Amino acid sequence: MEDIHIEGVHEAYFTPTVNFEVATGNCEIAGESYLEETSKFYSKLLDWIRKYTTTIKGPLNFDFKLSYFNTSSSKCLVDILDLLKKYQNDGGKVTVNWYYDDSEEELEEVEDFILETGLEINKIPME
Amino acid sequence: MEKIDDKYDFSLYEYHNLLQQNILVSYKGPIDERIMNVIGENIELVTNDGNDKAKSKIFKIFMELAQNVWLYSAESLSTASGRKLGMGTLVIGEFGDAYTFVTGNVVRNTDIEPVIEKCEIINSLDRDSLREYRREQRRLAGTKKNSGNIGLIQVALTAESPLDIELTPVSDEESFFSIAVKIKKTGR
Repeated sequence: MEDIHIEGVHEAYFTPTVNFEVATGNCEIAGESYLEETSKFYSKLLDWIRKYTTTIKGPLNFDFKLSYFNTSSSKCLVDILDLLKKYQNDGGKVTVNWYYDDSEEELEEVEDFILETGLEINKIPME
Repeated sequence: MEKIDDKYDFSLYEYHNLLQQNILVSYKGPIDERIMNVIGENIELVTNDGNDKAKSKIFKIFMELAQNVWLYSAESLSTASGRKLGMGTLVIGEFGDAYTFVTGNVVRNTDIEPVIEKCEIINSLDRDSLREYRREQRRLAGTKKNSGNIGLIQVALTAESPLDIELTPVSDEESFFSIAVKIKKTGR
């Protein structure tokens, strides 16, 4: 199983920076997410998580540091959180940190992700 | 001076003057990701009176509504490579302590009815119910192709204002549909 490293790009579409590490279970999704083929992009990440949680079965530490994501991306982010919740229910060790831009609205959005998925998420204001 | 007879059937000067009043950005034409990118950066430049939160709100709203025009306008252009670019109009205005963002495009009457119903539901809900509605619809959207509906809920939540919708018939089958939202310059 291999790491995922994707360099964030801000062009007409915005690709987030992604770093998923097999050895440590440290995973980061950062930057901006507005993609031409949102499901296709995120399905690679979902596959990685599925593989990691069924073969490596180590801890997962997720850092979400997104300054912008559109509504299509938000659906895929919920899919990721669902997988993490499932892994946790099956006994996996999962930590999720969500860095939010210091605004009421974004805090509400993280709270809604928590309600929507039942996953515990640490809410951390972005520097 | 040489005149072109059928140049315009309106005065460009009057059009320009009309747009001078409180209008920061206006665009009419086809929309795709490149045009969205250019206008998105323009928004950043012209919304200097607002705080950073207001700027990011306008940007988020713009991204969702412009995307809807691109995908759902009944008027469109096809590129050589076969892509469909919806046509529409986007206007960002500045009125006192708020920005207004308006998009409009031609729609088929049969397509727009569910969208109007959705907007009416959105406008009838308080903030907590609207958040619940977003969670519900996001779950549903996972199984459906159409994601435009969450976009509208998101727009109302981000703007913290109702969706001011207007439908003007242009023919038996089609209407001009517009959505306007107001964003306070002192976003929270």
